[in-house]
Amino acid sequence: MDIETRREGDCRVVTLRGSADINASASLRETLLGAVEGGDTRIVCDLSGTDFICSDALGVLITAYLKARGRGGFLYLAGSHDHLNDILETTRLNRLFRIYPGVAAALASLRE
Amino acid sequence: MPAGAPQTDDLGPWTEKVLPTTLSAVRQTEREVLGLLCDLGYDEDHLFAVRLALEEALVNAMKHGNGFDPERSVFVWYRASPERVEIRVADEGGGFDPDTVPDPTADENLERPCGRGIMLMRCYMDRVAFSPEGNEVSMVKHREP
Repeated sequence: MDIETRREGDCRVVTLRGSADINASASLRETLLGAVEGGDTRIVCDLSGTDFICSDALGVLITAYLKARGRGGFLYLAGSHDHLNDILETTRLNRLFRIYPGVAAALASLRE
Repeated sequence: MPAGAPQTDDLGPWTEKVLPTTLSAVRQTEREVLGLLCDLGYDEDHLFAVRLALEEALVNAMKHGNGFDPERSVFVWYRASPERVEIRVADEGGGFDPDTVPDPTADENLERPCGRGIMLMRCYMDRVAFSPEGNEVSMVKHREP
């Protein structure tokens, strides 16, 4: 899985491309938790190019979300589709995370 | 080696793999199983379901069953037909009671970072059963026409 990050205003957009499987979890953890601990507490996680996610990677998202929230920030999900949406619904994590259809919508919500 | 290697019946012989307890073995095993299913004509939805369940079962075996002990192995058996796929995963741990795993979908558990593997296996496969000791899981996925 490829992970790219960029700044959009005062937000950090973290884009995951490929499979968020067990082998990718360590990199995902390092990137997301590193961002939060480095002061980036406003995060949008772009899942539009993510074709798979395992429970370990979900756990990383949750941990990062909790840390960001604990520091007065947030972690939104954006662009998830098909199977990922099914997983988020099956696990009821769609009740925990704010999920936007895309990064643009997530960023636009911050301007409202 | 766990006792009770699966018996052969109408679905044909099992393919058996003995994996080291290293996460890099997960992806290779998934590739082999999914490759077989792809050749049998399983569609993307079924492939996704089997991949997810197999990944969860393997990671559970390595992490919780074997405690990431490199001296321990994970055993995988699988076989498939155009109608269904059967997979068994066993570890060398002491076992556990899957009924004691808290419901990860309960409101009070949503913020827990772990505990979703078994639930996902049960949701995405048609049948999931644990051995009495809890250190072996068998799963079946039917391919609807």
